[in-house]
Amino acid sequence: MVSKNVVRASTPMVRSPWVWGSSALVVVGLVAWFYELEHGLAVTGMRDVVSWGLYIITFAFLIGLAAGGLVVSASAEVFHIEALRPLSRLGVLTAAIFSAAGGLMIIPDLGKPFRILNLFLYPNWTSPLEWDVTIITIYFLFSATELYYMVRHPDHKRLFKVLAYIALPLAVLLHSITAILFGLQFARVWWNIALLPPMFVASAIVSGTALIVVIAWILQKYHGVTIPSSTWRWLAGLMAVSLAIDLFFVGCDYVTILWDNIPTDRAVLALVLPGGRFQFTFWFEWVVGGLIPFVVLASSKLRSKIGYVVASAVLILVGVYAFRIELIVPGFINPLIQLPPGIALGTFTPGASPFQLVGHYSPTIVEYLIVVGLLCLTALAIAWGYHAFRVGESIESEVPHVKSS
Amino acid sequence: MGCWTCAVGCKAINDEPLGYWWNRILTTEPNGSAQVATSASPAIDVPHGVFPNLELAYLPVACQHCNNAPCQKVCPVGATFRREDGVILIDYERCIGCRYCLAACPYGVRIFNWGPGERVPDFIIGYGEDYRTEGRLVFEPVRPMGVMEKCTLCVERIDVGEEPFCVAVCPVGARVFGDLNDPQSEVSTLINEEGASQLLAQLGTDPNIYYLPVRHPDKVSE
Ligand code: SF4
Ligand code: SF4
Repeated sequence: MVSKNVVRASTPMVRSPWVWGSSALVVVGLVAWFYELEHGLAVTGMRDVVSWGLYIITFAFLIGLAAGGLVVSASAEVFHIEALRPLSRLGVLTAAIFSAAGGLMIIPDLGKPFRILNLFLYPNWTSPLEWDVTIITIYFLFSATELYYMVRHPDHKRLFKVLAYIALPLAVLLHSITAILFGLQFARVWWNIALLPPMFVASAIVSGTALIVVIAWILQKYHGVTIPSSTWRWLAGLMAVSLAIDLFFVGCDYVTILWDNIPTDRAVLALVLPGGRFQFTFWFEWVVGGLIPFVVLASSKLRSKIGYVVASAVLILVGVYAFRIELIVPGFINPLIQLPPGIALGTFTPGASPFQLVGHYSPTIVEYLIVVGLLCLTALAIAWGYHAFRVGESIESEVPHVKSS
Repeated sequence: MGCWTCAVGCKAINDEPLGYWWNRILTTEPNGSAQVATSASPAIDVPHGVFPNLELAYLPVACQHCNNAPCQKVCPVGATFRREDGVILIDYERCIGCRYCLAACPYGVRIFNWGPGERVPDFIIGYGEDYRTEGRLVFEPVRPMGVMEKCTLCVERIDVGEEPFCVAVCPVGARVFGDLNDPQSEVSTLINEEGASQLLAQLGTDPNIYYLPVRHPDKVSE
């Protein structure tokens, strides 16, 4: 069943322009990071009021994608979804690589990145960040090990069954803890809700599935891998349902805030709703990455066209990224004690006040370059892993089962 | 009275770079909650209320040295720690600069070393030497780039029996320093007699800094 032409068809990829382009961007990102190391985080747009930015937004996004990968691959086993079986290995690969990428994303955000080992040398177990570091490490090791076994002992069906039953709760835990990292902070009213973990898990499943859809489409279009139509149908369905659940949770939060009249809660929501400073996140989350893909995926006619499914997946990824922005930046804008002159910024610009009463943040070019560099590195790693772990073959080899069932 | 002497004194003795204020004097209304949705004005020294009923008070805010300090709980590497006497300190040798504590502190008093820090004058002023307590580096004249810093309650001074510098320099004696565990101390008596309160007490952080009520609000009367 192993089709040789899959491997052959994809070898020239190493020389393809996108690989060169991405590698160049990775180098640019590294240079930007060295620049940041030299001059400190002052070269970012973050300051003492909005003290986390693009890096942490992207971190949460990548970890969500990682969680989604294992959900897709484990669901095939746990819920006996034969149609998703061809994507098992691909799902585990994305889980491993995206959890590693999420972990890497933290590094440029640290003021003292070379002390990162302190996280393991002096753990403080009351810190949700320490929990998150631990779960990300476990998650990465788990998916890397599973991947190894999938390549080495692909016939070990019992083992994969057991692993799938561990993987599913692990994936839920991964993104719940990442949510808790924010959700436990009572100094930030916007984050401090019990609904945050389920919200994060739903957004992880929807964005992780969307990512698999995009990768599957690239494989089908450029690498001659055939993904059965039943698989596409399942992916579309999974996206539609998890998208609806995700938006339902976010909507519940909005309603709670809109109905009551707690000024601090209202102030943040006003930033996000139409008319607010961050209204773009609302439009991207609810319309571009919400309503539009939902309508497409819910209509059985549109859903049957792969192009529409892939386009919806891309929109969903954009929408989930907007959700991360919406959560993190507005959470910092209005500090609990917001009295003049405000919070000291921690840097000084001649002629400007060293205080800020209402937070401002816009990412700098350094932040963009570092994030783009890391995303390119992740894409390259996926492409490499695709070859190294013979993912193409794994998809093809599972297809006949699906067809016969 | 809003003269910022303590804030400037703090800045000098700790040699805080430009744009760093461990200690700030916020403009508020007498006996109001520190947590307001919108302040009267973005500028300092602007009274609250509608003319002629104008009121104003000052709220000096630095680290509250919370007994149940969220910053200490969230620090993943234990760089922020609580000394036995209740002082919350940062170990500059251990901090990894993740800024989680900045997200966790409800009082907005922590300051991160985003860059190398610009000092005017550019020679070292203030304490001028490293200070260690429990073997951990809690003060350096020039804090390294990438670590968190904040009010240390002048550990260097209180460990030799002196008052924190902000208390010592206040021209009108508005600040009182002492032992809260000793019911006879001046702070304990004042807190009991005047009914002092903690900032954002509803959060349960249990600060060791108390605020005495404003007894005679200055009113612009008709
Ligand atoms: S005021 Fe903020 S920095 Fe100081 S102890 Fe409390 S939480 Fe920590
Ligand atoms: S910035 Fe430093 S002190 Fe603050 S939580 Fe991170 S390691 Fe701890």
